[in-house]
Amino acid sequence: MFEPFDFEFMVRAMVASSIVGALTAAVGVFVVLRRLSYIGHGLAHSIFGGAVVSFVAGINFYVGATVWGAVSVFLINGASKRRQISGDAAVGIITTSAFAVGVLLISRGGRFTRNFEAALFGEILGISNTDLAITAAVLLLVFVTLFVFWKQLVFTTFDHDVASAYGVPVRTVEGVFSLLLAATVIASLQVLGVTLLAAALVIPPVTARLLTDSFSRMFVIALAVGTLTGFFGAYLSWFVDSSSGATIVLLQAAVFVVALSYATARSRLLRRGARQTERIAGLERAVY
Amino acid sequence: MVERSNPTRPIHHGPPPDRARAEALVSVNALSIGYEGTLVLRDATFRVSRGEFIGVVGPSGSGKTSLLRAILGQIDRFAGDVTLHRAADDRAPRIGYVPQVETVDWNFPITVEQVVLQGRWREMGWRPWARVHDKKLVAQVLDRLGIGDLRTRSIRALSGGQQQRTFLARALIGDPDLLLLDEPTSGVDIKTRHEIIHLLGELNRSGTSIMLTTHDLNAVATHLPRLIALGEGQIISDGAPEKVLTPETLRQVYGAEMLVLRTGHRVYVVDHPDDDLESLGPLFGDEEAAPSPDSDSPSIESVSLRDGP
Repeated sequence: MFEPFDFEFMVRAMVASSIVGALTAAVGVFVVLRRLSYIGHGLAHSIFGGAVVSFVAGINFYVGATVWGAVSVFLINGASKRRQISGDAAVGIITTSAFAVGVLLISRGGRFTRNFEAALFGEILGISNTDLAITAAVLLLVFVTLFVFWKQLVFTTFDHDVASAYGVPVRTVEGVFSLLLAATVIASLQVLGVTLLAAALVIPPVTARLLTDSFSRMFVIALAVGTLTGFFGAYLSWFVDSSSGATIVLLQAAVFVVALSYATARSRLLRRGARQTERIAGLERAVY
Repeated sequence: MVERSNPTRPIHHGPPPDRARAEALVSVNALSIGYEGTLVLRDATFRVSRGEFIGVVGPSGSGKTSLLRAILGQIDRFAGDVTLHRAADDRAPRIGYVPQVETVDWNFPITVEQVVLQGRWREMGWRPWARVHDKKLVAQVLDRLGIGDLRTRSIRALSGGQQQRTFLARALIGDPDLLLLDEPTSGVDIKTRHEIIHLLGELNRSGTSIMLTTHDLNAVATHLPRLIALGEGQIISDGAPEKVLTPETLRQVYGAEMLVLRTGHRVYVVDHPDDDLESLGPLFGDEEAAPSPDSDSPSIESVSLRDGP
């Protein structure tokens, strides 16, 4: 049962997965409520292109991916400001093109198939202490920023135009959020990979949304689901001998199914209770 | 009869402020506004004085919401200017804004209290959470609007009137000098509309200047002391309902024939005169001929209305 804890790389993997679970869940709450799930997915693909370019050019992955990610975000923002291009189309064009750059370089080179798979599906066992430190630093950065900009972020997420009318500097807030999202994607890429990252951004917040109608409670529940599934996903992958990213996402999907069943059963019970109350009230009216 | 068929009682105001002398709150001067290079409203000039209650009317797309957004500084300004006049104590005027309820995401996980606190995001400082003082203020404003018991309720579980009051509370918690409301009575039932209009009347009497947009000429606009009518991308008319709601102005504003009935200080607009005149027939005394649909002369004012059964 404690076998995975005997190996340093597994401890690193479990810590990294917990951090990434927390990170994606925290940022994911805003992603989901802003209906930006597609951006998370697109950005992960775009940054994959940046990762390959960094590899080929011999630049540090984090430096290359950050620059690539930031450029993608600003290009998306710029393109979607034009009336003729909708936001989702802008994401589609820019992130897929950036992804295609990575695929093209790989198809020409052909010598980094292993890295290609790692980038697509995550390679948690190869996480170094530096990777872990960077992921932890991003977690700290994200939480400090969320703390400072909490009210503004919640207000702009709820109603962008009205927040602006109430004096919230929406452009700054949007810019800060885009950078947080890019940083989260970059820090999580190695654990979850391009293909699974979008799921980790979406499933914990949606699960939490099923369980509460309060924003702050949704955030806390999503954070708990993300962190715990991150930890136990990595832990279980040791025993199942499976990809850690896939195990984490499937664990999250299982929690989602449980939450969905609970929410469905609860709303049925509430409806039945309301019908019974109405029937009793009807009987009372008939009697008196 | 007319009063009974239209349950909204008129708002009782004091005499309308003498705009020439009343203290100015907002001055809009030769303003042209729009979105991404497309002109929505051109050459608008008017003034809002402290204590006024103004309705902005006009068809969809005439620039009603844009005009409110111009006062908020939220729209591209092509020409002209909007001046917010400082009060005697040199304080910049505070503006509260209540959006159309149709634009609100009702599935957003947020409670009534959390929505109202958004109106104090600046005063709450760096803390993400509300202090006891903030919560007390929220409770006070919710009590004032009669929804104090809904503080912890999710906005999803509110009725139309409660939703409108919640967003009104968010605007009022900032103690605004001017309250801007975008279609506050759209999509609500008659009773709620009645409550909202009277609530706004009370707020206005307590000193808040109000400017609202409305599609509802008879139930809302005719009860307000001043109307600004927009059409064809400009202000067509500005003044008391008796001045603004005339067949000529309404034709210009809506591009359709409308009949205006007057009884005392009440004005009633019939927007499909051909269809409606027949049904309005019983309103008129036997000895009185029903006005013809194309009649736009003041003679309509002489039509007396018979009491209902």
